[in-house]
Amino acid sequence: MKYRQCDSPAVWWAVFGAVCLLTAATRFYNVGQPEHVVWDETHFGKFGSWYINRTFFFDVHPPLGKMLIGAFGYLTGYDGTFPFVKPGDSYEGVSYIGMRVCCTAMGACLVPFAFIIVWEMTLSLPAATFASSLILFDIGLLTLTQYILLDPILLFFIMGSVVGMVKFHAQRERAFSGSWWGWLAFTGFMLSGSVSTKFVGLFVVVFVGLHTIATLWDLYGDLRNPLSLVAKHFLSRALGLILLPIILYCAYFYIHLTILCKSGNGDGFYSSAFQSQLEGNSLYNASMPLELAYGAEITLKNARTGGGYLHSHIHLYPEGVGARQQQITTYSHKDFNNKWLVKKWNEEPADWEDEDEPIELVKNGDLVRLEHVPTGRNLHSHREAAPVTKRHHQVTGYGENGEGDVNDVWRVEVEGGAEGVPVKTVVHRLRLVHYLVGCALMSHNKQLPKWGYEQMEVTCNPNVHDPNNLWNVEDNQFPRLPNSSFEIYAPNFIEKFIESHTPKEGEITSQPWQWPINFKGQWFSAIDGFKVYLLGHPLIWWGNLVVLAAFVVVYCRHSYARQRGAPIDAATKARRDRTLGACGWLALAWALHYLPFYAMGRILYFHHYFPALLFSSMLTGVILDYLFESLPGLVPRYLATTVYPTLTGLFYSTLAYSFYLFSPLAYGMHNLEPDWENHTIHKMRWLDTWEF
Amino acid sequence: MDVGVRNRKNKASPKSGKKTKAAEGGQTHPADTDALKRSIEKLQHLNENINRDSGDGESAPDTPPPETAPDSSPPSTPTTSPDDFPDKKVQSSPKATRSSQQKKARNSAKASQDTQPPLKLSLHVDGMSVTLFVVSFLTRIWRLDSPRGIVFDELHYGKYAGLYMQNTFFFDSQPPLGKQLIAFAAYLAGFDGGFKFERIGTPYDAMVPVAAMRMVPAFFGSLLMPTVYNLMVELGLSHYTGALAAFLMIFDNALLAQSRYILMEGILLFFGLFGLLCILKFRRFYSRPYSLPWFGCLILGAASLTACVCVRYFGIFTMLLGIGILVRDFWEMVGDRMLSERQLLGHLVTRAVIFTTIPVALYLSCFYVHLTLLYKAGPNDNIMTSAFQASLEGGLASIISNQPVKVVHGSQITLRHTHGRTCWLHSHDAVYPVKYADNRGSSHQQQVTCYSYKDVNNWWIVKKPEKEEMVVTEPHEPIRHGDVIQLVHGLSSRALNAHDVAAPMSPHNQEVAAYIDYNVSMPAQTFWYVDLLNADATEGNWHAVESQIRLIHVNSSQALKFSGRQLPDWGFRQHEIVTDKIIDQEDTIWNVEEHRYGKTEDKKEREKDLLRSEMIPLERRNLTYWSKLYELQYKMLFNNQENVAGHMYASEPLDWLFLKRGVAYWISANSNAQVHFLGNIVVWLSGTVALLGYVALFVVYLLRRQRSCYDLPESAWNKFCTVGEILGIGYAVHYFPYFLVDRTLFLHHYMPAYVFKICLLAAMVEHGHYLLSEYLRAPRLARAYLTGVGLWAASILYVFWFFSPVTYGTRDLTANEVMSLAWRDTWDLIIHKQ
Repeated sequence: MKYRQCDSPAVWWAVFGAVCLLTAATRFYNVGQPEHVVWDETHFGKFGSWYINRTFFFDVHPPLGKMLIGAFGYLTGYDGTFPFVKPGDSYEGVSYIGMRVCCTAMGACLVPFAFIIVWEMTLSLPAATFASSLILFDIGLLTLTQYILLDPILLFFIMGSVVGMVKFHAQRERAFSGSWWGWLAFTGFMLSGSVSTKFVGLFVVVFVGLHTIATLWDLYGDLRNPLSLVAKHFLSRALGLILLPIILYCAYFYIHLTILCKSGNGDGFYSSAFQSQLEGNSLYNASMPLELAYGAEITLKNARTGGGYLHSHIHLYPEGVGARQQQITTYSHKDFNNKWLVKKWNEEPADWEDEDEPIELVKNGDLVRLEHVPTGRNLHSHREAAPVTKRHHQVTGYGENGEGDVNDVWRVEVEGGAEGVPVKTVVHRLRLVHYLVGCALMSHNKQLPKWGYEQMEVTCNPNVHDPNNLWNVEDNQFPRLPNSSFEIYAPNFIEKFIESHTPKEGEITSQPWQWPINFKGQWFSAIDGFKVYLLGHPLIWWGNLVVLAAFVVVYCRHSYARQRGAPIDAATKARRDRTLGACGWLALAWALHYLPFYAMGRILYFHHYFPALLFSSMLTGVILDYLFESLPGLVPRYLATTVYPTLTGLFYSTLAYSFYLFSPLAYGMHNLEPDWENHTIHKMRWLDTWEF
Repeated sequence: MDVGVRNRKNKASPKSGKKTKAAEGGQTHPADTDALKRSIEKLQHLNENINRDSGDGESAPDTPPPETAPDSSPPSTPTTSPDDFPDKKVQSSPKATRSSQQKKARNSAKASQDTQPPLKLSLHVDGMSVTLFVVSFLTRIWRLDSPRGIVFDELHYGKYAGLYMQNTFFFDSQPPLGKQLIAFAAYLAGFDGGFKFERIGTPYDAMVPVAAMRMVPAFFGSLLMPTVYNLMVELGLSHYTGALAAFLMIFDNALLAQSRYILMEGILLFFGLFGLLCILKFRRFYSRPYSLPWFGCLILGAASLTACVCVRYFGIFTMLLGIGILVRDFWEMVGDRMLSERQLLGHLVTRAVIFTTIPVALYLSCFYVHLTLLYKAGPNDNIMTSAFQASLEGGLASIISNQPVKVVHGSQITLRHTHGRTCWLHSHDAVYPVKYADNRGSSHQQQVTCYSYKDVNNWWIVKKPEKEEMVVTEPHEPIRHGDVIQLVHGLSSRALNAHDVAAPMSPHNQEVAAYIDYNVSMPAQTFWYVDLLNADATEGNWHAVESQIRLIHVNSSQALKFSGRQLPDWGFRQHEIVTDKIIDQEDTIWNVEEHRYGKTEDKKEREKDLLRSEMIPLERRNLTYWSKLYELQYKMLFNNQENVAGHMYASEPLDWLFLKRGVAYWISANSNAQVHFLGNIVVWLSGTVALLGYVALFVVYLLRRQRSCYDLPESAWNKFCTVGEILGIGYAVHYFPYFLVDRTLFLHHYMPAYVFKICLLAAMVEHGHYLLSEYLRAPRLARAYLTGVGLWAASILYVFWFFSPVTYGTRDLTANEVMSLAWRDTWDLIIHKQ
């Protein structure tokens, strides 16, 4: 067919160059606008600053993306002093442009990446151009990749991984050559990048993994390949796609933990041992007795992530909330009211200073009383409902000056420890089991109402094996035991690394089904005078859905025909197999990046759909090309030569024109200007749920 | 004929290898094959059965006469029914026993074959099935009425049965079939629902027919055993394997407990597996489409699977598995080029029609019974809308029965948030704080909230803007769709107001307040359009209870909305009210619940007004079945149940694999006699090992086959795959969804998956034997293996016996005995402290 005679390298490079040029033009236009903090820049800008200031912080995402932002800022002369308090803060005199430009540059790579991916998968120039222009002209992607956010970085690594995958696959005839190894390493590097930017990057790892397994399966099934060769293939891939990313991932964390050596606001989220490693933290370079003796004054920290210190104060539980005795809570800050005295269950401890008394250590399985030092009340529990979690028992402070009753007796259990082991500070995780009721002291995230100063509830949990029941001794003051430095149980890198992987609460903002239909956008900048609204290009997004449905129909038809054994000529079959193969992989990638969100109850934001969108757009490009090419065979002869150019022209002109119409959303709308009321963008508000 | 399908048939008789060969040899003549196949099917039934073809005269002459088999079946009375299709197992009540009758029946069957009478008889007595049923039933009904106290969820199901007896409406987020079955048994036993099911452990008084109610799960739980046995046989496994699977289930303490007390699992499992069995049987009639048994299997399968869904929504996964099997078989049929496209379409349509009409009809009728029986108001009414409550006798109907219908100028109303959280539009003598915690400012006007309890502050007066007096005028001025009104708060006399100030918790919405004139430049915007959603039903008038309305703010065209967010302490933790520009959503729908006319200074005059007003009849209102069903369904599926987190016996899906925790079901008040829900640990762990073994073997076989090393002959490989397809996938679809469930889970949620695991375990035992005897050809090893299996079975019996005191809960235990049962330290059995 005539119009396909364009696959010479010169044409290829010309088209590719044009796509790149257009990309650069659309992305870098107005990149410095608006000159204030936009949306989540307030977070990621802050993280960048913290890296530059070397202050420790806590965040759910792995560090690479934020580190890159920090590095961009550092290299382009940002000094890390801007506070990034809230969206809308003006950047007067701050050199933020560097970070924006670098993020935008990474985001701009998506278009050529898509071009390469589709080209390698289908070897069809029109398909590659279709796919990349769908990504090029998407308003949403343009908006999302123009600011200091993790998304441009994440999308860059995700697409990069797939580029690596297809390029590597293209080298299959030249196995173990230099370029083969090169692309393998490239894929591994990109994979590590996407996982280290956000955990959403795991989906692309799964995708590449499945693709690799499929190729290996074919290699293995080909009886011409000796097993040793297959093993070699397998091992080299394991090296490049498993080992290399893991090493890189750990390396990023190593850099992260090395750079951040100063105490900051994230400390409280980490265990006592972890904190002892941060400059400026009160545990840094502290020293205290290693073992716990009767008569010691201690603080107890709930061992779950973000757990507070066992706390009490002179206030009582209010009327109607169990017994009117002294409140017991957990409190995240260090406070004198967190101090507890460890006593034997049946006798008062000797004086600290008394040198004659033998030192007796608390052992696993011992019965103890805990006296709250400032108020002299004992930690106590009884069969009354706890204030918030009604199924648990209430925990109170009871007695006077350490005199209480039998309900003050607790058994100390060291998790995984043998009977009779001395209890150790910090390293041992303990359970305090109420001797009479048989429940275990527990704390969790639930807050007490106002009467409890919104500190966290402490209860006695009848389910002794609940993970929230674990505590550790953090402070341990007992002058007669030798102090040992905390250095000895400083966590090594691995332990620090494991502890850094913790979940955080998120806010539900939208439902996954709303994303592909572009139900609702997201304000990026709602400042009067300059408004930016993140919204996908509706034609592209809805078109993607239609095409996805078309793909399912086409696929079912072909499967049916194949199952029925319908005859087919070789050329058509080859073209169809290649197209459907490529589409199958792209649809799989789309599903992998989209469907898992249904299983997540939270952390659902509109912009999480964008990785899936990239694959969906590429799928659209491939299918459109396939359909456009099939059409001439179906229409009358005299139309056959014109139908393809007409459709293609229509496609590009619609895309470009609608891009022009919607572009104010991305480049900013000046709603204070006099002609704002007549602005064309008002006519483009097709759905009531779009808020611009 | 399709080879794949025939292979499956051949696999069905693995024990008779010779016969299989014979069948393969005979494949040239379809008729011969047919005949041979049928004779093979006959031979499979070791315990004799008479298998009479009821179908289409053409194949009947080829049918060889039924062989007589050793009469080893246990005594039982066969029932004959004229239109039973051949493979339907007839479970007869095993009380009367006369083998002569059986012989007679057999003779008559023989005779009928010779003469082809118009009335076709089919008879089938499967001794093994009957034995399994009887043994299982005996284990379950032994001392059925003890412990005579509420055991675990009997609290709910018993209560529901009682409410059925009293026709009192209740709300439960699971469908009603299981509860209805139990209620039916209770009804037959003469229960009047007078017992209060208060807490677990409360002893039943004499009038509660505990045994009758427990009989339902016990019966269905016992029917499960023959079902499983036949299912295994249908999968091509041997009869011994089928019996082994049933044996493992009979002597599993967990399954026993679930089918001994008033719980749903026994019923659920039976319906699910019986449905699957029918679907598998359906495969047999591949060659005779549209015959009576073909339809019978399909319809029975659809019905049984639907019943499973009607017991518990989770049964949908069993149903999907069944449909999956059908789809897969149909896909194979597509590959059969002997069938024309028209025939294929016919098959597809038939299956689709059966699998839509029957489930829909059954599901609807079970809810029809539910809603018809329960017509009195009860404890859970609040969750339903006012209209629904008004349709119940004695509930809201009695409160609103004397109130006028038409809302007019001067009406006093309470406005209820119709869907979702139950609350009423409320205002009180407190203002929004000047500054919120995040430094935003407010209007400092009087708060308007949504309050979840009835309160005098929920009363509002409807006022037309042009009128000053807030009394009902004469003649009445009804409010109609589209009218503009003001709503004046009854106690504070301040009007409902909205303005362009960000709401406290939802800053993107407007704040709603009761207007206080501070004399600052903040004018009152208190006009609202009345937008009736169902204006046609009331001819455009605003009716109390019935009309669903939206209040659209005149100045901003936004709708009054319940935002779902809770106000902090300054708002007394009531819920926030806002206006939202997205009008078409559920949270903007309101309805009048309580309503009265009048409100003058003078009490007498108000009474006079009330007397003059149009009265609502005293009896309950009629709400159509469909609108009731719609609402109930909606609430069941979208009702976010309070998460009962932190139950001390809750467990996680991963704990289930290794039986980490049980559940305390019941403990006697004065001794250590108790029921603790625990499985038979030997079966349990063997099941997990078998599962892993299957996966490992499958991977190994697959790897070998990909390199063209075919270790297993094709038939054995097919069988191995079929087992994985049905049992392995069955296990997966009943297990993995729980990882996504965000609710408190208990060990008993694992039961459906567990049943599939036990079946897989039995299949793996057979496969192990096959590998030893056929693949390795080591008869001695095979014999040793069988001995091992025997010992293993004995250990299962021992463990069953050992734990039976806490399964039956009939025996007092000493503290030491209880301690001796806690084999793992995470099993929290209860010991009373002396």
